[in-house]
Amino acid sequence: MFASKRLGKELQKLHEKLPPGITLIQADDLKEWLMDIQVVDSNPIYQNEVYRLKFMFSPDYPIQAPEVVFVADETHPIPWHPHVYSNGIICLDLLDRQGWSPVHNVESVCVSLQSMLTSNTKKERPPGDENFVKHNKQRPRDINFVFHDNQV
Amino acid sequence: MKVTIKEWNAVAAWRWDMPDDDVCGICRNPYDSTCSKCKFPGDECPLLLGECNHSFHMHCIYSWIRQESSQEKCPMCRQPFKSKSQTAATATPTAEGQAQEPTTSPL
Repeated sequence: MFASKRLGKELQKLHEKLPPGITLIQADDLKEWLMDIQVVDSNPIYQNEVYRLKFMFSPDYPIQAPEVVFVADETHPIPWHPHVYSNGIICLDLLDRQGWSPVHNVESVCVSLQSMLTSNTKKERPPGDENFVKHNKQRPRDINFVFHDNQV
Repeated sequence: MKVTIKEWNAVAAWRWDMPDDDVCGICRNPYDSTCSKCKFPGDECPLLLGECNHSFHMHCIYSWIRQESSQEKCPMCRQPFKSKSQTAATATPTAEGQAQEPTTSPL
């Protein structure tokens, strides 16, 4: 079993030290973890907000990418971003089958998402958001995203 | 004075000829330890050095390469992953107390 040993190691490190703006919320098992991220610079789109990420791991992690989505509740909105749908699904090459590498980890994914938000200047949803959110029944890992925008 | 040695026990240690603190980027276990699936380190769970000079436990990099989505690229640098030599590294035991640095055969 790949995932359990590797996740155990990651968890140990996450308990020791985390980059600024990243918090471990829940890791009760080796299937699903919750992490909070905050944008630490003064980007006005994300001021004073905390976003919650849900990581779902397959037994083959890190050979297989984790599924990572933003989850919303009363205190955690879904961040505005042209690659983040309003249901929390994230379109980012490193989370896709083609862009994932097993040297990534929970921390590096959080840092990448944090920097994706930090550098964003558009308070927008992806094109077709409403339709996608209404009709999508697929899990994030089964969606075939087309990566055409290298700006963000 | 004459000393007769009645019995002696040799103890040997080995390690891969790799930087001390380095871990396999895939399983995050030390190179001298095993991949996530093996129990015994050493020849049973060797390392593989790529032409790009990135190394992994052989079992780890094979699991990755077997995935279609890996496109047989190195997880570190995304160059096509080719083993530097067809044979995996083999450990050479060295007796403790010898001045010689523990070595492994060339990769």
